[in-house]
Amino acid sequence: MDYFRKVLGAPQDVQTNSGADTVERLCERVSSSTLLDDRRDAVRALKALSKKFRLEVGTQAMDILLNVLEHDRTDAEIIGYALDTFYHIMSNEPTDEDDVSNVSGHDLGGQFTEIFIKHAENVSLLLSFLEEYDFHVRWPTVKLLTVLLTNRQKELQEIILVVPMGVSRLMDLLSDSREIIRNDALLLLNQLTKGHANIQKIVAFENAFERIIDIIRDEGATDGGIVVEDCLLLLQNLLRNNASNQNFFKEGSYIQKLKPFFQIHDEPHSKQIGWSAQKVTNMHLLLQLVRTLVSPNNPQNQTVACQKVMNQCGLLQDLCSILMASGVPADVLTETINTVSEVIRGSQMNQEYFASVLAPSTPPRPAIVVLLMSMVNEKQPFVLRCAVLYCFQSFLYKNEVGQSQIIQTLLPTAADANSITAGQLLCGGLFSADPLSNWFASVALLHAIVENPTQKEQLLRVQLATSLGSPPVSLLQQCCNMLSQGGKLQTRIGLLMILCGWLSDCPIAVSHFLNNTANVPYLISQVSSSEGDEHEAIVQGLCAFLLGICMLYNDDTSEAFSKTALKQIMQNRIGLESFTDKLSQVAQNESYTRAAKKPHLYHKHPSEIVFDYEFTRLFKSLENEVLKAVSGSGSNMNGRKSGPSTEQYKNLLKEQEDQVLLLRQRIEELQSHAISADKSIVELQRQVQQLKDQNALLKAQKGSLSPASSISSDEVDSLKREVESLRLQLHNSHIFSNTVSDENKENDPDGASVLNVTIARLQSELAHKDEEVLSLRSELDRVNEVLKQKTSEQTAASSSVSNAEVELKLQQTEEKLKLITDERNHLQERLTKSNEENLKLANTIRKLEDEKVDAVNEKENLKEEMDTLKKEQDDLLVLLADQDVKIDKYKTKLKELGQEVEDDDDDDDELGEDNEEDLDAD
Amino acid sequence: MSYAYLFKYIIIGDTGVGKSCLLLQFTDKRFQPVHDLTIGVEFGARMITIDGKQIKLQIWDTAGQESFRSITRSYYRGAAGALLVYDITRRDTFNHLTTWLEDARQHSNSNMVIMLIGNKSDLEARREVKKEEGEAFAREHGLIFMETSAKTAANVEEAFINTAKEIYQKIQDGVFDINNEANGIKIGPQHSPASQSLNVGGSGGNQGGNCC
Ligand SMILES: Nc1nc2c(ncn2[C@@H]2O[C@H](COP(=O)(O)OP(=O)(O)OP(=O)(O)O)[C@@H](O)[C@H]2O)c(=O)[nH]1
Ligand SMILES: [Mg+2]
Repeated sequence: MDYFRKVLGAPQDVQTNSGADTVERLCERVSSSTLLDDRRDAVRALKALSKKFRLEVGTQAMDILLNVLEHDRTDAEIIGYALDTFYHIMSNEPTDEDDVSNVSGHDLGGQFTEIFIKHAENVSLLLSFLEEYDFHVRWPTVKLLTVLLTNRQKELQEIILVVPMGVSRLMDLLSDSREIIRNDALLLLNQLTKGHANIQKIVAFENAFERIIDIIRDEGATDGGIVVEDCLLLLQNLLRNNASNQNFFKEGSYIQKLKPFFQIHDEPHSKQIGWSAQKVTNMHLLLQLVRTLVSPNNPQNQTVACQKVMNQCGLLQDLCSILMASGVPADVLTETINTVSEVIRGSQMNQEYFASVLAPSTPPRPAIVVLLMSMVNEKQPFVLRCAVLYCFQSFLYKNEVGQSQIIQTLLPTAADANSITAGQLLCGGLFSADPLSNWFASVALLHAIVENPTQKEQLLRVQLATSLGSPPVSLLQQCCNMLSQGGKLQTRIGLLMILCGWLSDCPIAVSHFLNNTANVPYLISQVSSSEGDEHEAIVQGLCAFLLGICMLYNDDTSEAFSKTALKQIMQNRIGLESFTDKLSQVAQNESYTRAAKKPHLYHKHPSEIVFDYEFTRLFKSLENEVLKAVSGSGSNMNGRKSGPSTEQYKNLLKEQEDQVLLLRQRIEELQSHAISADKSIVELQRQVQQLKDQNALLKAQKGSLSPASSISSDEVDSLKREVESLRLQLHNSHIFSNTVSDENKENDPDGASVLNVTIARLQSELAHKDEEVLSLRSELDRVNEVLKQKTSEQTAASSSVSNAEVELKLQQTEEKLKLITDERNHLQERLTKSNEENLKLANTIRKLEDEKVDAVNEKENLKEEMDTLKKEQDDLLVLLADQDVKIDKYKTKLKELGQEVEDDDDDDDELGEDNEEDLDAD
Repeated sequence: MSYAYLFKYIIIGDTGVGKSCLLLQFTDKRFQPVHDLTIGVEFGARMITIDGKQIKLQIWDTAGQESFRSITRSYYRGAAGALLVYDITRRDTFNHLTTWLEDARQHSNSNMVIMLIGNKSDLEARREVKKEEGEAFAREHGLIFMETSAKTAANVEEAFINTAKEIYQKIQDGVFDINNEANGIKIGPQHSPASQSLNVGGSGGNQGGNCC
C-alpha cells in the first residue's frame, strides 16, 4: 500500500477508479519515462495493482514489462518488481485481494502464460536471470518459472530443454545457500521433471540424486517437514518409469544412502506421541520409492540387481524391523508389507532371509506366521490383509523351498501340537465362515503349489478330522464338499481356483478328484445351468475350466471318467458350443483383466476381490489346450483306419480352403474399411484442432476487448470445453478404431456358419468312410483267409508259382492300404485343425462386426457434434462482428458528442469523462 | 563396490558410428548387429582398475541424430571424459568432427579429456578414412586417438581405460579440482580429499604400504 500512496497520492480515489484506467496510465509512464527512478516507481505501482487488476495488467502491461526485463536488467529492484508482476498475473492461486470478477475468469493465468511463452526468448531471458545472485531477482524468477510450468507444462518443458544449459541452471538452484530459494527450486524441479524422461535424465546427470538425498538427511529424514516430502516426490518423479535413471540410481550406490532413512526409533516416548501426519506422508513416499526400484513391472534384471543391493546393504532388514515394530500406523505398516513383498519377490536370497525373520512375541514366531494370522482375521483392515497375501505370494514366487516348507506344515508327520503353523492358519482360513478368509487362504495355498508338481502330490496326503467318530476326509475332498454346498461367491471362486491349480499338470490329483463320483456331476450341473448374473457366469466358466483340466490331465485310471468317457459326457450334457461359451466368459470378465495386470493386489474394497494374478496366468496358458482337448473329434484316438474315397476328402478340403480364402478377403475388406474410418477420424480431429485454434484466436481478441464482453467470454470458454471433450472423444474413438483394425485379422460370421455346415458334412462323410474302411478291412481279412487256404492247398499240391502270385498281390494291397491310411490320417488332422480355426474365426468376426457398428455410430455422433460446434462458432463470430459494429457506433456517437476517442481497441465505452479528469488532475 | 574415484564420460559423434555398440561391448561384452537408434541419452556403468585403484566409470551414451542435439548438449558440462566417435567406413562422419569438437569445447569444462575414436576397424575393405588421417586430426587438436571395433572388441577396453588414465594423470598433476563435482569427478566414499592429497604428495608414506 505504501508505494501506492506515494505514487498516486489519494488512495481513496484510486480505489474507486477504474483499474484499467490507472493501469493504462502507469504503462504509459513505464514506457515513456526516461528516468529509471520514475520507471521503477511505475512498475512498483503496477505490481501493487497486479493482483487486484490482473486482467488489466495482463492485457496492457505484458509487452512493456518484457521491455523492462530486457533493458533495465542492471537494476535488480525494477527487475524484481516486473517479475513479481508477471508472477501475479500468471498465478491462478486465489489471493485475499482477489476481486470477484477476477475469480470468475478461469485459467486467466494459463492464457497469459500462452502469450508469454509464444516467444521462447522470453523463457531464455528468465533463465538468464538465474545467473543473477541477487535475491530480488533470483527468487521471483524461480517463482515465475514454476507458475509458468504449472500452467503450461509440456510447452515449457520443450522450451527449457532447448535453451542451452537450461535444465542445468535450474539444477544449480539446489545449491543455493538461501533456503527459501532452494526449497522453491524443489517445487520448480518437480514441475519440470514430471512425465519428461529426457529432462529427468539430465537432472539426474546433474547430480540430483546426491543433492536431494543430502537435503533429506539435513532436514531430518522422515522426521523432517514438507521439504523432505518435496524431495521424495522429486526422487519419485526422476525414477518412475525411467529405467536409465533407475540404473544410474543403483550404480551410484544411492540405495545404500536411502537405508538410514528407514531406521525408525522405537522409543517409548514416540509411541505415546504417535506419528505426525508429515512423518506418515514422508514414510509412504520413501516406501514407494523403494517399490519403484523393484517393481515387478520393471525389466527383470534391473529388479533383481536392486533386490540384491537392498539385502546386502541391510535395507530389507530395516524394512522387516518396521514390520515387527510397535506403534507404526496401520497404513504405513500396510505399505511396508507391500514394499517387503516386492523386495523379496522372486529373489531366493531375500526370500530366505524373510523366512528367517522372527516376530518378537513369546514364544517367538516366524514373521510369516504372524502375518498370516492377520490375513485370516476378519477384524484386520482389508488393505492390510491384501498386503499380507501379496507378501506371502511374493515369498513363494519361484521359491520351491518355501513352497515345500509351507506344505510340510500341513502334513501329519510334521504336526506339532504346541505351535501355530502356517498350514493350520491356512486350513482355518479355508474353512472359516468368512468368505474373504476363504478366498485369501485358497489363493495362498494355490501359490504354495503353483508350478510345483511335487507339492501338488504332497498336498493330496493331507487328511482332515471332521467331527468326532467320523473318518477323516482328504483336504481335496473337503474342498469339493464345500464347493458343492454353495456359499458366497468369493468362497466358491477361491476354491475353484485352488482346485484348478491343484489338478493342472497333476494326473494323480485328477484321479483322486474323479474317484469321488459326485464331483463331475456337480461340475456338469454348474456348467449346464443357464441362470446367469455376471458372477454366476464366472463360477460356471471356472467349473468348465476344471472339467477341461480333468480331461487334459486324465491318465484314464478312473473307469467312469476316462478321457473318452468324460468327453462323451461333456458333449452330450453340455455341448461343445455351450462349453466354449462358458469358458470364454472367464477371460472376458472385467475383474479378470484387472487381476491379470499386475501381481500386486490393489483393491480398495472387499467386493473387488475375484481373481488372483497367478491364476489368470494359469488360465491363459491352459485355455486353448482345454478347448482343444474338449473339441477334438472322438475318432481321433481310436485306431487308425482308412477308406477308399480319399479323393472326396481332398475335394472337400479344397472347398473348405477356398472358403477360408474368401473369408480372408472379407477380412481385408473390413480392414480397409477400418483404415478409412481411421482416416476420417483423423480428418475430424484436424478440423476440431482448427476450430480450437480459431477459438483461441477469438479468445485472445476478446481478451483485448476487455470487460464489456463477459458474456461472450463465457461462451468461448464453454466452446473451448466442448472442443476439449470432443477431442477426448475423438481420441478415444481413435484408440478404439485401432483396436478394431487390429482385430480385423480374423474372419466373418456367415462364411463361418457355412463352414460349420461343411464341417458337419465332412464329418458325416468321414464316418461313412470309416465304415467303408471297416468293410475293406473285413474283405482283406477274407482275402487273407482265402490266401491261407490256398497256401495250404498249394503246399499240398506243391504248386509254388500261383502262391507267389497271390503273395505279391497281397503285398500290393497292403501297401496300398498303408498309403491310404496315411493320407487319410493326414487329411483328418487338417480337418480338425481347420475346424478349430473356424470356430475361433467365427467368434472373432461376431465381435468385430459389433465393434464396427459401434465405431460407425460413434463417428456419426462426432460428426453431429462437430456441426453444432461449427454453428456455435459461427454464432460467436456474428456476435463479435455485432460487437465491433456496436463499438464503432459508440465511437461515432462519442465523437458526435464531441468526446475525443482513441482508435485503440482497448478503449472502453464505459469509461466516463470523470475518470479521465481525475487522472489529469493527479 | 567401493571405489577410489568416479569418472563421468559422455560418448558423442554422428548417428550410426557405433557409440551404443561401444558402450555395450564395454559394459556387457556383447555386440548388437542392428542399429537400435538411441533416443536422447542412455546410461551405463562399469568398474575398472588403474594403478591398483578401483575407478568407477559412469557413461552417458548420447543420440547422434541432429534432432537430439539440444538434449545431448546438456551432458557436456559435468563430464570428465568424452569419447568422440567416427566411422572409418563413412567419410562424412569424419568430416563432421570439427563441428563436434567445437560444440564440445564450447559447452564442456576446459579440462575434459577427449578421446578420438575411429570405429568399425573390422570393416577394412570398406574403409574410407585412413588411420593416418585420424592420427593427424587428433594431433592437431590435442586429442588421444584410437581405432576400435565394437564388433570384435578390438581396442574397446583400451579406449575407455586410456581415457581414464589420462584423467587420472590430470588429477595427479593437480589440473582437476577434484572437489568440484561439476568436473565429472568424484572421490570414493572412503577416500577423503585429505588422505588423497597425502597420496599425491609422497608415495613413500603408509599409503604406499597398502598398495597391492
Ligand atoms: N562391423 C561393425 N559394425 C558396427 C560396429 N559398431 C557398430 N556397428 C554397427 O553400426 C550400427 C550403428 O551402431 P550404434 O551403436 O547403434 O550407433 P550409434 O552411434 O549409437 O547411433 P545413434 O544412437 O543413432 O547415435 C549398428 O548396426 C551396429 O551393428 C563395429 O565396430 N563394426
Ligand atoms: Mg546409439
